[in-house]
Amino acid sequence: MGKLKNKLVAVPYYIWAVVFIVVPLLMIAYSAFTNEDGAFTFQNILQIGIYGNVLLRSLLYALIATVCCLLLGYLLAYCMAQQSERGKNILMILLMLPMWINFVLRTQAMQDILDLIQSWMEAAGISLRISNTGFAIVLGLIYNYLPFMVLPIFTSLEKLDKRVIEAAEDLGANRMQVFRKVILPLTMPGIGSGVIMVFVPTISTFVISEKLGGAKYNLIGNVIQEQFLTVYNPNVGAAISLVMLLIMLFILIIFSFLDDETKEGLL
Amino acid sequence: MENIIELKDIHVSFEGEVILDHFNLNIKDKEFVTFLGPSGCGKTTTLRTIAGFIQPSQGKVLFEGKDITALPPHKRQVNTVFQRYALFPHYNVYDNIAFGLRISKTDEKEIAERVSEMLKLVNLKGFEKRNVTSLSGGQQQRVAIARALINNPKVLLLDEPLGALDLKLRKGMQTELKRIQRQMGITFIYVTHDQEEALTMSDTVVVMKDGLIQQIGTPEDIYNEPRNPFVADFIGESNIIEGLMLRDLLVKFEGVEFPCVDKGFGENKPVDVVVRPEDIEITEPKEGMLCGTVESVTFKGVHYEMMVRSENYLWKIHSITYKEIGTRVAMEIIPEYIHIMAKEV
Repeated sequence: MGKLKNKLVAVPYYIWAVVFIVVPLLMIAYSAFTNEDGAFTFQNILQIGIYGNVLLRSLLYALIATVCCLLLGYLLAYCMAQQSERGKNILMILLMLPMWINFVLRTQAMQDILDLIQSWMEAAGISLRISNTGFAIVLGLIYNYLPFMVLPIFTSLEKLDKRVIEAAEDLGANRMQVFRKVILPLTMPGIGSGVIMVFVPTISTFVISEKLGGAKYNLIGNVIQEQFLTVYNPNVGAAISLVMLLIMLFILIIFSFLDDETKEGLL
Repeated sequence: MENIIELKDIHVSFEGEVILDHFNLNIKDKEFVTFLGPSGCGKTTTLRTIAGFIQPSQGKVLFEGKDITALPPHKRQVNTVFQRYALFPHYNVYDNIAFGLRISKTDEKEIAERVSEMLKLVNLKGFEKRNVTSLSGGQQQRVAIARALINNPKVLLLDEPLGALDLKLRKGMQTELKRIQRQMGITFIYVTHDQEEALTMSDTVVVMKDGLIQQIGTPEDIYNEPRNPFVADFIGESNIIEGLMLRDLLVKFEGVEFPCVDKGFGENKPVDVVVRPEDIEITEPKEGMLCGTVESVTFKGVHYEMMVRSENYLWKIHSITYKEIGTRVAMEIIPEYIHIMAKEV
């Protein structure tokens, strides 16, 4: 009886999952393997080859952004966890505040700031380009997704038993050893969630690359958007989406198969 | 015996609240010392000061005569068994115990030998690969002890290590801790609020209250010769009654004169008299004896606990003879069982 009730509770979610997750995925798969007339074809998949460069660039930018978010985010989360309750709340609000502002507006503002800095640099005779570059895109990715790295790491640091740290110190570990042998492995779950929450959206972003890259540095997200909205070739768009999905699935599966020590080694 | 640890004029306060004030204590080498007191008496603070987790704002910690006050915990030759163990949840039993040796970059072969030695010491052979979170409280406790002992500390600090165990397990671990201490031949500093635990295991008991040492002595001293009413009350059960020291070897309380073995208090001096419940014998009432009426009787297994009301005092008595409620009885106390304490000024 109890079990039946539990199952009933999940029914709304099942309906949701079927209507908004399973059916759309099947539709994407269907479009990816058919042409405009609905006939089966591999043409769409084979066509992806010409976007190889874009795909590699997307992966690279997402990777750089994720690594930077991890380093910055861990540091920030660590500092936050050391604060008093009040300090934690203030830092948390500062971190979340930008997220309450519209995403597109935020990105546009960043573009304006970079343009401003660029004009100052030109006035000072520095010929380095900042705005409308790949660097600007990565900067935008880091800026927008840093909170998604900080939050899970902060949570796992908060859950950490302080006496375990004392135990390590007591057994002769200096601060670096305490971090490497106790704090880092025990916050691994937080790092894992953070990496996924940053890597997955950054690899498929299109707003940030469009605004901050000056439309010169297309990412795979832009290509998909183009296929659906400008070129109007949804079959190719679906095919790219499907391949992206599989790539991400592949990366996540590999990540989850690594044991903790290998992950520590990677960091 | 030499002092291994000396605390000199230690002052510790938290957020304006003074925990330890001008605290002085010497701990002898190879002794089993217990800090005993109610919660908030400063016993754990004292332990953490020795471990290095608390920096006193004043005073010195000496280890084998050398000042280690400024030394961080990881550089001190003491190790701690923490309250509720604080094992590393991401390591198995073997890796938990090996932690200290790995930090000091010991050869893996030697580590393997030492770990198996330690596992044998704490009776956990064959548990090497077990996940620490799957162990029972008693087993986790043993891992914590092995982990702390593998570094060969000269002093082992134990912060209420048996607090989370059930009574039977606790009794077993008490004997075992004592055995381990003898076998290793090192100093144990043990913090507890359980007086029975302190009496069972210790060579020396330090009774503390409000950051002040109330009495230092062997368990027998503390039990038989408590220095003040707090110690008398905290260590075991006792009847504490106001009396008048008439002269040497004679004390009067509840209107009855009792010969005793204490002297040197002066004549007609008010004192506190301590009598343990098991030291009162119940007899037939006669003229001139301390008499009272039985108010309650509770069966306690080995004995009955009786509350007997005399003129001004309700006596707690442990006796193997049963008396019904309402019975009028006399209470006899032999001189050796009467303990006199000077009134606190």
